[in-house]
Amino acid sequence: MILLQSHSRFLLQTLLNRVHNLDKAVELDYNWVEFDDVRFHIQVSLKNSHVLLLSVSLPSPPAEAIFFNGLPFGAIEAIKAAYGVVVQILDPPKDGFNLTLKLNLSKLPPDEEYRHAILVKIASVREVVLGAPLRVILKKLGSRAVAPNKDRLIAIVHRPNESFFLVPKVEKVTVVYPMRFTDSIDIVLATSFLQEFVEARRTAGLNSAPSCLWSPSPPPELEGAPAEALSANAGFVTFVIFPRHVEGKKLDHTVWSLSTFHAYVSYHVKCSEGFMHTRMRRRVESLIQALDRAKPNVENSKKTPQSRSFKRLSLNEARTNSKS
Amino acid sequence: MDPATSRPAVVIDNGTGYTKMGFAGNVEPCFIVPTVVAVNESFLNQSRSSSKASWLAQHSAGVMADLDFFIGDEAVARSRSSTTYNLSYPIQHGQVENWDAMERFWQQCIFNYLRCDPEDHYFLLTESPLTAPESREYTGEIMFETFNVPGLYIGVNSVLALAAGYTTSKCEMTGVVVDVGDGATHVVPVADGYVIGSSIKSVPIAGKDVTLFVQQLMRERGEHVPPEDSFEVARKVKETYCYTCSDIVKEFNKHDKEPAKYVKQWRGIKPKTGAPYSCDIGYERFLGPEVFFNPEIYSSEFSTPLPAVIDKCIQSAPIDTRRALYKNIVLSGGSTMFKDFHRRLQRDLKKIVDARVLASEARLGGEIKSQPVEVNVVSHPIQRFAVWFGGSVLASTPEFFAACHTKAEYEEYGASICRTNPVFKGMY
Repeated sequence: MILLQSHSRFLLQTLLNRVHNLDKAVELDYNWVEFDDVRFHIQVSLKNSHVLLLSVSLPSPPAEAIFFNGLPFGAIEAIKAAYGVVVQILDPPKDGFNLTLKLNLSKLPPDEEYRHAILVKIASVREVVLGAPLRVILKKLGSRAVAPNKDRLIAIVHRPNESFFLVPKVEKVTVVYPMRFTDSIDIVLATSFLQEFVEARRTAGLNSAPSCLWSPSPPPELEGAPAEALSANAGFVTFVIFPRHVEGKKLDHTVWSLSTFHAYVSYHVKCSEGFMHTRMRRRVESLIQALDRAKPNVENSKKTPQSRSFKRLSLNEARTNSKS
Repeated sequence: MDPATSRPAVVIDNGTGYTKMGFAGNVEPCFIVPTVVAVNESFLNQSRSSSKASWLAQHSAGVMADLDFFIGDEAVARSRSSTTYNLSYPIQHGQVENWDAMERFWQQCIFNYLRCDPEDHYFLLTESPLTAPESREYTGEIMFETFNVPGLYIGVNSVLALAAGYTTSKCEMTGVVVDVGDGATHVVPVADGYVIGSSIKSVPIAGKDVTLFVQQLMRERGEHVPPEDSFEVARKVKETYCYTCSDIVKEFNKHDKEPAKYVKQWRGIKPKTGAPYSCDIGYERFLGPEVFFNPEIYSSEFSTPLPAVIDKCIQSAPIDTRRALYKNIVLSGGSTMFKDFHRRLQRDLKKIVDARVLASEARLGGEIKSQPVEVNVVSHPIQRFAVWFGGSVLASTPEFFAACHTKAEYEEYGASICRTNPVFKGMY
């Protein structure tokens, strides 16, 4: 539960459901939105139930990110490489979306395991599209083919009108995130969370993890970035990715983790707020219990005839009291 | 303009048995999962001592316990496969009992299932008509403080169930909602969208009792179901095989004459040993749902059949609404999904009403003929998540965003804005 999975749970569920009941014609029309304002729309018509239309709309890009026809660079190639014949890109996409894919479910491979893998891959369409530019750069890093003169900043969109920055070098790629939060409590929690995060990186078990820095002011790598990108209310996080982090199968994981880092932090901030509230509730309950214990037992003392106040009011005692 | 209003609202209907969640504007919820949380409590029970090292250990154990939990089907699977997880049901009888578990449940619903950022969406949650204002305040507090939602609407589930029929043909917002969930059964009269609070009737028999009854019947007959599994098997049997019959005696005869046609087989695998087993399913197929119509076969404390409760409920409503209420009796909740449930309900209710009309005519000596009372029990295929669908319809209208409690209001006035619900204010 700590890490976000790269596939959309609902999309995978729908795809599996469709594949298992391929002969049953159903009509399907569903809209949903994921974190960072990625919108999905899935459509199956009654007469052609083997064909599934999947539309994706991406967060609106800031000025500094490079987009071609509403898609990040390298996205089309990435889609073709990932899905092959199963998927066809419709041009132009549906109204209000950046990308529409036509999935032909009857073209899926018959092998159960392989088919499942492809469906999971389709369900992670967000990673394929949004992570495409990042993947291109990291792949070059893995094969050490980064052009040495290209040491300028590359901006990659990850949230509506926000991007993070890459500085590719021959032997390493530096990734910088300006962290922004809207709520004042979130800002405080996120700042301390990030400081702890950097601290945790120093423990012995994580020696091979990418090194990680946090600073309240823009790091020197961001020189030349547009001014609005340099304002961040929860500081800047810098990761340094080495070729060993993108070897073989690690590449997919690295791409996904880097492109959803902000969601990861905000998820943790929300959860820790929740757990703090749980603690506070428990504390209040225990305090209320303590108060309840301290209360004198009022009702009982009224009912019993042998209580002190009753005795004191009895005639005999009143008389002896007045005599003395 | 608030950008959140351009995105579909999130609709979550937390029921005692199942939670339905999804985005507004769609016809079906994204996920229907059991409302259950599996918590790992093994961390908390470690020995306590005062040294600093163990304080640290305890702290990290607390953190781990916070993180190590599952919800829904995963939770059920985990608790079956290992003993370290304890199941906790945050909602009992339609009311939230365990707020810690509920908060965790919501957290997983939002982040892991729907995968949305709660700051981006308005939320519509549901509650039972008998929920205390304090509990509504608590819900608001969690939603606004923990999840930072921009707006929240807490809908009454019976009104939402009525709203589910809103799109099909007419805008009928008067009717009786018979909401039979897993943990609570309510009969709620609604007039023009306002709940008639004083006439709400509840029945202490709900879906879980049907399951328990099926379990009891199977145990008494000596079917070989492993005891740790018997409740789950009974639930599955209830969901797949149970139906409503028109006459118990005839049904018994039918079963006895043609057992091959009516008696079903259940096959399962014992969770501990992995050995397969099978058992017969007989009379419980129709006796299970019969607890609503003849409660005395299950419980000795409560013996009013459901149709009589509905009749009593309508009779206690204002006189000018009664005909309209009889005309539109809406079923909602998973436990009304038994085959022919609505037919049986309509027939029994019609019988009661006709008997009363006849009696009053006899009293008047046949001078005045009253108009026949129309009794109509409405059933539709989405009954199981009618409340969710109603919420989805409601939250996709542009007026919805104006009716929500917003974050700014919450910060100005505090949780008390959630105390009252306008649907209760009409009739008093």
